[in-house]
Amino acid sequence: MKNLYLPITVDHIARVEGKGGVEIVVGDEGVKEVRLNIIEGPRFFEAITVGKKLDEALAVYPRICSFCSAAHKLTAVEAAEKAIGFEPREEIQALREVLYIGDMIESHALHLYLLVLPDYLGYSNPLKMVNEYKKEIGIALDLKNLGSWMMDELGSRAIHQENVVLGGFGKLPDKATLETMKKRLSEALPKAEYTFELFTKLEQYEEVEGPIIHMAVKPRGDIYGIYGDAISVSDGFEFPSEDYKKHMVERVVEHSFAKHSFYNGEKPFMTGAISRVVNHADKLYGRAKELYESHKDLLRPTNPFANNLAQALELVYFTERAIDLIDEALAKWPIRPRDEVEIKDGFGVSTTEAPRGILVYALEVKGGRVAYADIITPTAFNLAMMEVHVRMMAEKHYNDDPERLKYLTEMVVRAYDPCISCSVHVARL
Amino acid sequence: MEGKVRIGFYALTSCYGCQLQMAMMDELLQLLPHAEIVCWFMVERDSYEDEPVDIAFIEGSVSTEEEVELVKKIRENAKIVVAVGSCAVHGGVQSWEKDKSLEELWKTVYGDGKVKFEPKMAEPVENYIKVDYRIYGCPPEKKDFLYALGTFLVGSWPEDIDYPVCVECRLKGYPCVLIEKGEPCLGPITRAGCDARCPGFGVACIGCRGAIGYDVAWFDSLAKTFREKGLTKEEILQRMKIFNAHNPKLEEMVEKIFQEVKE
Repeated sequence: MKNLYLPITVDHIARVEGKGGVEIVVGDEGVKEVRLNIIEGPRFFEAITVGKKLDEALAVYPRICSFCSAAHKLTAVEAAEKAIGFEPREEIQALREVLYIGDMIESHALHLYLLVLPDYLGYSNPLKMVNEYKKEIGIALDLKNLGSWMMDELGSRAIHQENVVLGGFGKLPDKATLETMKKRLSEALPKAEYTFELFTKLEQYEEVEGPIIHMAVKPRGDIYGIYGDAISVSDGFEFPSEDYKKHMVERVVEHSFAKHSFYNGEKPFMTGAISRVVNHADKLYGRAKELYESHKDLLRPTNPFANNLAQALELVYFTERAIDLIDEALAKWPIRPRDEVEIKDGFGVSTTEAPRGILVYALEVKGGRVAYADIITPTAFNLAMMEVHVRMMAEKHYNDDPERLKYLTEMVVRAYDPCISCSVHVARL
Repeated sequence: MEGKVRIGFYALTSCYGCQLQMAMMDELLQLLPHAEIVCWFMVERDSYEDEPVDIAFIEGSVSTEEEVELVKKIRENAKIVVAVGSCAVHGGVQSWEKDKSLEELWKTVYGDGKVKFEPKMAEPVENYIKVDYRIYGCPPEKKDFLYALGTFLVGSWPEDIDYPVCVECRLKGYPCVLIEKGEPCLGPITRAGCDARCPGFGVACIGCRGAIGYDVAWFDSLAKTFREKGLTKEEILQRMKIFNAHNPKLEEMVEKIFQEVKE
């Protein structure tokens, strides 16, 4: 007689951005199928912005995602500026990067403390940790508040920044505010380090150990960072950002509104904090460099759970890096916030490192309007690899209590810090 | 309200910014002793979509057939339904091209790819269920949540805002982006409550809180000013529609201005 197996499903994965589920189909020979179901509706961002005025399209793009709206805004603006042949002054670029770092700090702090940590401490909800883990929640809120405040000052607000415009900023904070920012960043450094220490103690599950292809933006100026014009692959290959379509090939899959991506059309790959560390640790400096050297064995290129620790390492790194970038800008004080731009026709590709990995914007501008838009987000890049790791976890545990299996597979997904809203609305063939 | 107030936060199709804004409020910790989170997937693993709640916050536009069913279920289970943010209240930026065919949009983004879900053109929650209160903005301000929650908790009803961003902008004393800088600021038709955040940065309002209700959004007057500044009808409509594509008065009022010119 044939055995009957019910699929094991998590309909709605909690504590991630967006709505997605996992479906594991088990048969007599073990795990038959693993699917990450993305169940949010599509929003057609690329289609609805074609034919629209460039500045209006740029106001709409950040709405793709709230957790990384600054990343979307800054990447879209860079692609647009490349398209129209404009290059921002160094000090403007430095301050845009500080704004981006605000997003990075806020996003990493939220992910690590509010989304990931409750699993390890046995809570269903981070808010319930308040009494037992006062210190940790305090640090989480401090880091999160620092990141949002940086975005308030430089971007107009922490979600959907309007202050970044073609040619620079609408308005810049005054010198005293930037000095305060430096002070608050240096006060946050011990908290970032505490976070790193905390995450070195958390288990990285053996079940998903195995080789991973990592991709990361190759940072400009050989300093570990966010902006770059080429993509590096952990197998040693490197390609200019403009060639992203050749090497990061997308396919529509029927169980999701988000497309999956494959390296050279064949292999799933990973992008995110661990990928940045794996490919570019040699470009770290300061305290983060020291921590990397002393904890290399835990920042494993072969385990997606190492992404959590890599984010903690970045909290340390980007806190220090932002101070240096503010100094670069202050050296040129007073700064004119904005240059006049002429909206010429052209095509531009920008690749940056959003908190969750590589973010691609390709924009074509004609007659002041968007003629073509292609946006690919880190979670869309990661989905295929995520399914591989969920399957590895399922293969080891499909005979266990289904609740345990669900819990473990959710943890795998969470380690990627997926941004499901992002991935759904923006993939294009 | 007696005992702990039961709260649900539900997401339809959106960027999750409304719930992120609420989750980022430090004040939430003060609310906790008085509230029970019944459903809020972004923070609570033990979330239940089918349970009764006192207050249901809904974020996002209705963009799939599954979401139509979900909002109906939420309405049945909730005493108060609050539509949160520009997607739930006005259909969101994803409604910008609501008059284009879904097939056309689908083809541009997904090509010939097929999925097993049923997508729809984005719509506000109110097209399907009765909504008791609205929190505006993309994203809403933190104080919007505080005000609404605080008022509900003392058993009262929050008041709606019925005046434009310009009122707050004048009170702040910012230079007028529309008149002094000559940029297409949507402040005059957009619901206040943000303290004129963007004009404060010298950036034209794009209308993220949506048009003022109660028939006091003067699309026609603003269209006239825009026209004098050289904008075409199509440009004016496109800009006003970013956050107001579902507004029943918009097109008609803008049309009127351009008909007057012909005569």
